[in-house]
Amino acid sequence: MSDTPESASTTPVAEPKVPWWNRESTDQRIRTLLIYVGTPALGIILFLGLWSFTATRVKVSFGQLPGPIAVAAEVKSLWLDHKSEREREKQFYERQEERKAKVLAGNPDSEWKERKYAGRPTYFDQIVTSLKTVFTGFLIASLIAVPLGIVCGLSKTINIALNPLIQIFKPVSPLAWLPIVMIMVSALYNPEEPFFEKAFLSSAITVALCSLWPTLVNTAVGVASIDRDYLNVARVLKLGWFKKIFKIVLPAALPLIFTGLRLSLGVGWMVLIAAEMLAQNPGLGKFVWDMFQNGSSQTLAQIMVAVFTIGGIGFILDRVMLSLQRSVSFGSANH
Amino acid sequence: MPPILEIQSASKGYGQGRQRTAVLKNINLRIDEGEFVAIIGYSGAGKTTLISLLAGLLRPDEGTVQFRGQPVTEPGPERALIFQNYSLLPWLSVAGNIALAVDSVHSDWTRQRRREHVERHIAMVNLTPARHKKPHELSGGMRQRVSVARALAMDPQLLLMDEPLSALDALTRATLQDEVSRIWQENRKTVVLITNDPDEGIYLADRIIPLSAGPEATLGPSIPIDIPRPRDRRDLNKEPHFIDIRRRVLDFLLGEGARTRTTVTRKLVLPDLEPEDLTRPSGMPFVGSRARRRREEKEETVEIS
Amino acid sequence: MKIKKSPPRSSSVWTRAILLLAAGTLWCGASGKPPEKEDLKFGFIKLTDCAPLVIAKEKGYFEEEGLYVTLEAQANWKILLDRVISGELDGAHMLAGQPIAATIGFGTKADVITALSMDLNGNGITVSRAIWEEMIKANPALKKDPVQRPVKADALKPVVQAYKAEGTPLRLGMVFPVSTHNYELRYWLAAGGIHPGFYTPTDINGNTSADVLLSVTPPPQMPATLAQGTIQGYCVGEPWNQQAVIRDIGVAVITDYEIWKNNPEKVFGVTAEWATTHPNTHLGVLKAMMRACMWLDASPAHRKEACRILARPEYVGADYEVIANSMTGTWEYFKGDTRELPDFNVFWRYHATYPYYSDCVWYLTQMRRWGQIGETKPDAWYLDVASKVYRPDLYKEAADALIKEGKMKAADLPKTDGFRPPTADFIDQIEFDGRKPNHYLEQFPIGLKAAP
Repeated sequence: MSDTPESASTTPVAEPKVPWWNRESTDQRIRTLLIYVGTPALGIILFLGLWSFTATRVKVSFGQLPGPIAVAAEVKSLWLDHKSEREREKQFYERQEERKAKVLAGNPDSEWKERKYAGRPTYFDQIVTSLKTVFTGFLIASLIAVPLGIVCGLSKTINIALNPLIQIFKPVSPLAWLPIVMIMVSALYNPEEPFFEKAFLSSAITVALCSLWPTLVNTAVGVASIDRDYLNVARVLKLGWFKKIFKIVLPAALPLIFTGLRLSLGVGWMVLIAAEMLAQNPGLGKFVWDMFQNGSSQTLAQIMVAVFTIGGIGFILDRVMLSLQRSVSFGSANH
Repeated sequence: MPPILEIQSASKGYGQGRQRTAVLKNINLRIDEGEFVAIIGYSGAGKTTLISLLAGLLRPDEGTVQFRGQPVTEPGPERALIFQNYSLLPWLSVAGNIALAVDSVHSDWTRQRRREHVERHIAMVNLTPARHKKPHELSGGMRQRVSVARALAMDPQLLLMDEPLSALDALTRATLQDEVSRIWQENRKTVVLITNDPDEGIYLADRIIPLSAGPEATLGPSIPIDIPRPRDRRDLNKEPHFIDIRRRVLDFLLGEGARTRTTVTRKLVLPDLEPEDLTRPSGMPFVGSRARRRREEKEETVEIS
Repeated sequence: MKIKKSPPRSSSVWTRAILLLAAGTLWCGASGKPPEKEDLKFGFIKLTDCAPLVIAKEKGYFEEEGLYVTLEAQANWKILLDRVISGELDGAHMLAGQPIAATIGFGTKADVITALSMDLNGNGITVSRAIWEEMIKANPALKKDPVQRPVKADALKPVVQAYKAEGTPLRLGMVFPVSTHNYELRYWLAAGGIHPGFYTPTDINGNTSADVLLSVTPPPQMPATLAQGTIQGYCVGEPWNQQAVIRDIGVAVITDYEIWKNNPEKVFGVTAEWATTHPNTHLGVLKAMMRACMWLDASPAHRKEACRILARPEYVGADYEVIANSMTGTWEYFKGDTRELPDFNVFWRYHATYPYYSDCVWYLTQMRRWGQIGETKPDAWYLDVASKVYRPDLYKEAADALIKEGKMKAADLPKTDGFRPPTADFIDQIEFDGRKPNHYLEQFPIGLKAAP
């Protein structure tokens, strides 16, 4: 080690990528924490403060605009309501078991029909319903959009033929689709023992119709922009069309397909809330509309809870899709 | 002995009507079995077009391409192609890329036999420790070796190499040239090598054919290389035949096969940067005499080829 | 639910008794016939007069009939009707006009019937504070304390004319084109000499030749739009009138009780097909709801309890205080003027639940009066539609069953041929005889006549 001043580290040394808890000094650890955790936290606190301040100043026809504390209290009350509803359900089933035992004790041959608890869906049940609906719609959309996108990407003729239709239907709002979908579901879906509720189907189909476009377009682009050389490899190896699609086309286009899927899921989640309001699917959309119809003094707080829930879930869904997308992306660009 | 590959009076061009450029014109080539032929030319002359014709990826506008007497209509694993930018599938590992080729070509083999075949070829290019790596984790030289292994694993009758080493640095290039040479010694396949380095061509091949510059590129005289094998690159410079062959190749390329220099003259208008003379009376502001700007017109001659 | 009653193993009387008891607690009521469908879904709109449905469920009356009912709030009247017609809902809390309009084909066409009237009265007309001030200015008599009620629309007429002269006619909201609120609002306006507008084949909004513009507004948005000034008044059920008064946005001018004493309001509607294929179920539903109506009118304490139940977010959801006002018999016209109105909501008294043909005919006449029925129809047509849509025969079956079980007094079942006696208990004192609809139409100064 030389002592000459010139050799002191004047040349910039690239810092190796070390996780923050492994850094050498506490200073560095604190600095990283402050930047990545502290700054967003500060932003959130400022937002809450601003909200609190505005809330006390604004008076609406339902009363005062609820501040963050009122909203937090509302979350608690929704949770308690959920628990009490579950309690009632439990008691119902207990009573049913008692009666069943009595009847079977008296006459073991008698047929017993299990009754389902006819309670109402709580807030958390509604969240689950919304998630189920959006995933059903997303699945339908993906099953249509991915194969269609592959076909469009591989065949220029089909792409040109379908393009005007795609451009026309892409910007249509879910509120415009919904009445058509509802009428068609009403007319066509009339099985003896319906497995799906009509409202559920209407919402899921509307979600599918609105969210299939990003996947379709991205898949087509992804397939069309595959490196020519990969297709040449397929030609030299004389791969049949089935192998060509599944071994070369799909894996090569997968990053863009996943981008499309991620965008689709985001669009679908947004569309879902609107669709549920009108189709009466018992999810978050219906919750918002019903609470609005109540016009009670808790209405605004409840709707705000719903807003944060919807946003939070949308955020989580997006992150999940993003990590899925990263995991299938290969090559230096994405790593 | 009938040639394994023959091109007769082939031409290929792109575009229609007035924009048509004839890339290759009147190509005649005859390759016998077991030969190593090098074709050398300028970048952009049509080398990739030529090898695409040989592989069957393109069809000639005029003339014929025949493989063992049959016209070539589409590519196939019997004419294996090693691409200029490797074309390894980035989502498959080294073993996976080679296995894809083996599974397609030898689909009637048992899985065990196919696996051994893959392993053998990985070992042939000295990449066994890296067999699980994905292409983006490999260096350029290693990727090219995988490409070579994949091509050989198809058990082709003819190996077509489209500037395989152009993208590598000089030292790696030298190493890989030795590898290719070694493998060829062991396997003795028919090879057509396209390169832009005359030394590489002379080092590896049995004969070397220069390709003139485009457009309408055509093949020059076929120059046999009678330097005995095995060839040592360090001693090559002292070989009298080497210098002679090299001179003949360069003569063609720089002489009649050279690029035609074309120039175009364009008129450019440059802004006048002369400062404004503020001592002149300006009259009314914004109205009346404004400073006169003289525009300078220059003529610029640009060389394009 | 089927219980296979195999012969008792032991011939003990006790075993048989226990079996019967067990069977009895599991079987539907004492009507003897099992319901065709036990899991039912009914729709309702968040208004206080959905109370019979809610109480029938919460007090276990449905369960006692062997029915397991889910109540689902609907977004609006149109969706509610559509879902009943499509079968997603077995039945619903409906506006009295809805089964009628559906049967005659105004709007979605379907055969919808009702065998139970759910309540009488229950609506109010509210105007914005600004309009009330203008009304006082034009009618100094309104300044008297206490205000002399009922307040006729004559007091509103000068204000209407002023607005019309400026080119911005007064805008009033109601709930649905075939809602009781629409007809009551029009009746009140017309009685004061204000023309509310005609429906024509080209004008589906009913604003032809109108002095005021009536439009459809969803109930929960009414207070907000009133505050904004988008509409200057509305006619709606509770809690939306009291909501506006309590929040100081509007003034309740009149209740529909003062427009037509004891007018029919909501009905329980099902499709004719459903009623035919589920007669026993329908019977059980009617019985349960009648008992709920009885309970509601039994005592003020019951009403208070009902308010607490209705204040739950899954039912009406408004604040308890807002609901309690009207349901417990007080009505706040504006801050400082609260009156006793014990008959604001009537669920059982005055034979409120009996589906009188004359009620149906009244709605039909109003539909004709304003042009929703395009041509004149003979009296026989009115009576024919009424007998198709309203089913007092089913009501009687349910009532008989309840009387037999001792749950209903025989006196509560009216002895009638389905027509109420002619009455002039209207704000304009025009007599209505259900058997003579065309004659009735002739009496109105404003409105389409029997003959064009």
